[in-house]
Amino acid sequence: MLQGTLDLIILRTLRSMGPQHAYGIAARLEQISEDLLKLNQGTLYPALVRLEQQGWIKGKWDKTEKGREAKYYAITKAGLKALGEETQRWRQMSGLVEKLLAEES
Amino acid sequence: MRHIRRLFAKFGNLFRNGQADRELDREVSAHLVLLEDSFQRRGMSLDEARIEARRAYGGIEQAKQLHREERSILWLEQTFADLRYACRSLLKTPGFTITAVLTLALGIGANVAIFTVVNAVLLRPLPFQHPERLVRVFGDLDGVGAKDIGTSEPEIEDLQRADIFDDLSAIFPVSTALSGGDHTERIEMLGTGFDYFQTLGAEPALGRVYGPRDAVPGFTEAVVISDGLWKRQFGGDPRILGRRIRVDEDGYTIVGVMPPDFRHPGQTLAGDVEMWAAAGFAADPFPSPPVRARRFLPGVIARLKPGLSLQQAQHRLDALAARLAQTYPKDYPSASKWALRLEPAEQSLTGSVRPMLVVLLAAVGFVLLMVAVNLASLLVARSSARTRELAIRQALGASRARVIRQLLTESLLLSLIGGLAAMLVLMLSRSSLLALMPSDLPRIAEVHFDARVVILACVLSLVTGVLFGLTPALHASSSSADPNRDLKEGGRSGSPSRRQHRFRSVLVATEIALSVVLLCGAGLLVRSFWNTLQVNPGFDSEGLMVARIWIPNPNNPAMNRYRATQPVAALSHELLRRVKALPGVEEAAIGGNNSVPLENNSLRRILFSLPDQADSTQTQRSADFTAVSPEFFQVLKTPLLRGRSFTEADTEKSKRVVIVNEAFAKQYLAGRDLGQRVNFGTFDWEVVGVLTDVRDDGLDANVQPRIYRALYQGTANEMAIFLRGASGSAGLKQQVIQVVQGVDSDLPVYGVRTMHEMMETSLARRRFSLFLMAAFGALALFLASIGIFGVMAYAVTQRSQEFSIRVALGAQHRDIVLLALRPGAMLTVAGVALGLTAAWGAAHLMTSLLFGVSPGDPVTFLAVPVALASIALLACWIPARRAVRVPPVAALRS
Repeated sequence: MLQGTLDLIILRTLRSMGPQHAYGIAARLEQISEDLLKLNQGTLYPALVRLEQQGWIKGKWDKTEKGREAKYYAITKAGLKALGEETQRWRQMSGLVEKLLAEES
Repeated sequence: MRHIRRLFAKFGNLFRNGQADRELDREVSAHLVLLEDSFQRRGMSLDEARIEARRAYGGIEQAKQLHREERSILWLEQTFADLRYACRSLLKTPGFTITAVLTLALGIGANVAIFTVVNAVLLRPLPFQHPERLVRVFGDLDGVGAKDIGTSEPEIEDLQRADIFDDLSAIFPVSTALSGGDHTERIEMLGTGFDYFQTLGAEPALGRVYGPRDAVPGFTEAVVISDGLWKRQFGGDPRILGRRIRVDEDGYTIVGVMPPDFRHPGQTLAGDVEMWAAAGFAADPFPSPPVRARRFLPGVIARLKPGLSLQQAQHRLDALAARLAQTYPKDYPSASKWALRLEPAEQSLTGSVRPMLVVLLAAVGFVLLMVAVNLASLLVARSSARTRELAIRQALGASRARVIRQLLTESLLLSLIGGLAAMLVLMLSRSSLLALMPSDLPRIAEVHFDARVVILACVLSLVTGVLFGLTPALHASSSSADPNRDLKEGGRSGSPSRRQHRFRSVLVATEIALSVVLLCGAGLLVRSFWNTLQVNPGFDSEGLMVARIWIPNPNNPAMNRYRATQPVAALSHELLRRVKALPGVEEAAIGGNNSVPLENNSLRRILFSLPDQADSTQTQRSADFTAVSPEFFQVLKTPLLRGRSFTEADTEKSKRVVIVNEAFAKQYLAGRDLGQRVNFGTFDWEVVGVLTDVRDDGLDANVQPRIYRALYQGTANEMAIFLRGASGSAGLKQQVIQVVQGVDSDLPVYGVRTMHEMMETSLARRRFSLFLMAAFGALALFLASIGIFGVMAYAVTQRSQEFSIRVALGAQHRDIVLLALRPGAMLTVAGVALGLTAAWGAAHLMTSLLFGVSPGDPVTFLAVPVALASIALLACWIPARRAVRVPPVAALRS
């Protein structure tokens, strides 16, 4: 996956769905990608620790509806701001790539 | 911001790695439970769900590792791990660790100690503004081979007017009598020009210093005192300024106190300068009007104009000398080739000890090298015991670099502990180490630790650690290139490979070579020291004691009670009569200025001519000069070679007579000595005797031509009482002082010492360098023999089976011992050959430290290899003998 993409997706998911545990984020990823994106769920963790250390998300232990314990990650204020900036950057970037690809063909 | 935040988080994780790991474990298992739940919901059995959950999650350990790398600073984390590991493995082998730390502390400590001295004495610039512009100016008579003949007042003015110096001042170290305390005290005074402090750019701690506006032809009343005198004599009184003091019967006013760390950057008579007084050197007590040929000013210090190089300045000085010689041909006879010479002030202050310190620094560097090589050899032995451990690490996926890093961490930890221990010991034993040093070492008071020393200690520790750690680490890791083999080999016997053994042999040969160099250096110094002790000083020091007296020299000659010959003779007679009555004193004599042997006396030389020789009036010659009483030669037991000694009849009313030493007779009189005339001080003096040479400048210094005049035919402003048969006890010393004060309480007594004590002082520097060199050499020898013993003991163990078979087949014990000795002998020969070559080169660098022995001294260069070879062979022989002691059956079965 493209560098930084995973971070962006995680932030976006947390914003739209509220606090989620790692499994929930992974399930959501698979769901929206319609199973195109099959990733080892363990690979989420480095991204989560990176985002948490940057102060963009915050983890907290809680219980699921079924009473299982899980660490829920929520997006922070700084995370929201960063998400805005990163989305902006992603749009510019993808627009540029789109334009280039259109010219080539 | 977020990067800084992350860095902090990462850094924090270094210290709670365990906690982070547990947290991750918890999160991962929670995640797996959720996955299992979901798979079970899709209808899987519990077991199926569990397997499927793991598959969906991916490699758990890889994921954890990625997490670790992401959350923390990996290299730092590994370093911590390596350090922990190193500590554990060092603690497990305390014998090795203690040996290593001790030798390292010794090696690094010795280097830091010597460097601290070198740093203070040679490296640190003089503590003045722009010290590189401070120079000394010397007058030489190249035509007659006389150096540093002094300067006259008109010459000082010429120098000041020349477009070379910003400021320039004469410097004139003298003794003075400071009265006012409970007794009159002799203190060291520096007579200077008015520009002295301006030349140095020195500021007082209290009050003011004198300057050009104080200029008068004679001495000014304003004097500046040292911090030491201020505290000792005046109790550090803050209202000292304006205090009137009596010095040499003259009144002076204290106008300033210098800071504690201010020291005159030049030679003194006896101890630090305690008082500075300025004079124009053109009125009483100096010749008035000034005479160009009377070069009574012993030194000149000056500050070069900015931007002027030493060379450019010297060129201008040469031009000035040429111009003066042309203008005043009478004062500068062309045959004497008067010349002016510049020298950096720093160099003229410390130049005499530079060779000694450089040699010691080099030697101590060699010692550290030895320590490093020795440790490398130990580490190789150690790493061979660890072959298996390293092989396992590599088999588990550690890269070679990672293994090297781990081993280096261990050696660096060792050397840093060694360095730290060294610094601790040095700081604790600072004062006792300083006491070991010769007290006449210039700038010794400035010896202290500074940032540069601490940096050096750190760098030395690191470099040493890498030096002794890297090669064994490279070696250990490369031999494990095939972990499979090492696992097997290590598993079988735990014994090192042949390669490691060969490597150790190279190290041991290096050790032997290094110790040959150190021992040759030490040997040459021992020989020099021995030669120095063998030197005939020209007098008998046994039971000889000296007390020195300063006779005040008031600025107004009319005030001088000892201005005429008569009172000096009377004083001398009275002193002799009274000291002879002291218990134990058999004989006594009195000498005038510069009469004390071994005390560097050539500070004041006189110029003379020989009227009886053809070229007489044109050529000036120089010689040391002193005046002595009739008993002098008898009391010192200095034999007269020809002619007669002085008698009580040689007075101011009789013919002026001198006695010259052998060096004088040989150099200037060539066979016809008795009856010849010597002209100086406007009189002709007749040579009545020739005396054996006395070592006046120290035992190991060449004897200079010297003229002795009869004491009672002139005056003196300094006297030395020589007592024969004196015990040198503190009580007697006190009695001598009382005797002098009883005759005239205005005469300060100082330097009351036995001739033995003075010889010790004169040998102090030589003894110091010898002591250190010998210690380094002994240490080197010890390390080398341990090294060779270790390698040989190992070699013998390796071959014990072979030896047993040989014995079983009928070999004699002798054959086995010889067989076992051979590799050691070869190592020794190789090391000694290498060492001798290096020592040959090194010895030539220390020529200036040698006395009576050539740098290629055959005795040293034969004795050292023989001694070393015998010790090395002994180190080989012990294991070799052990080889034959093992019963063959036992060895074969082992």
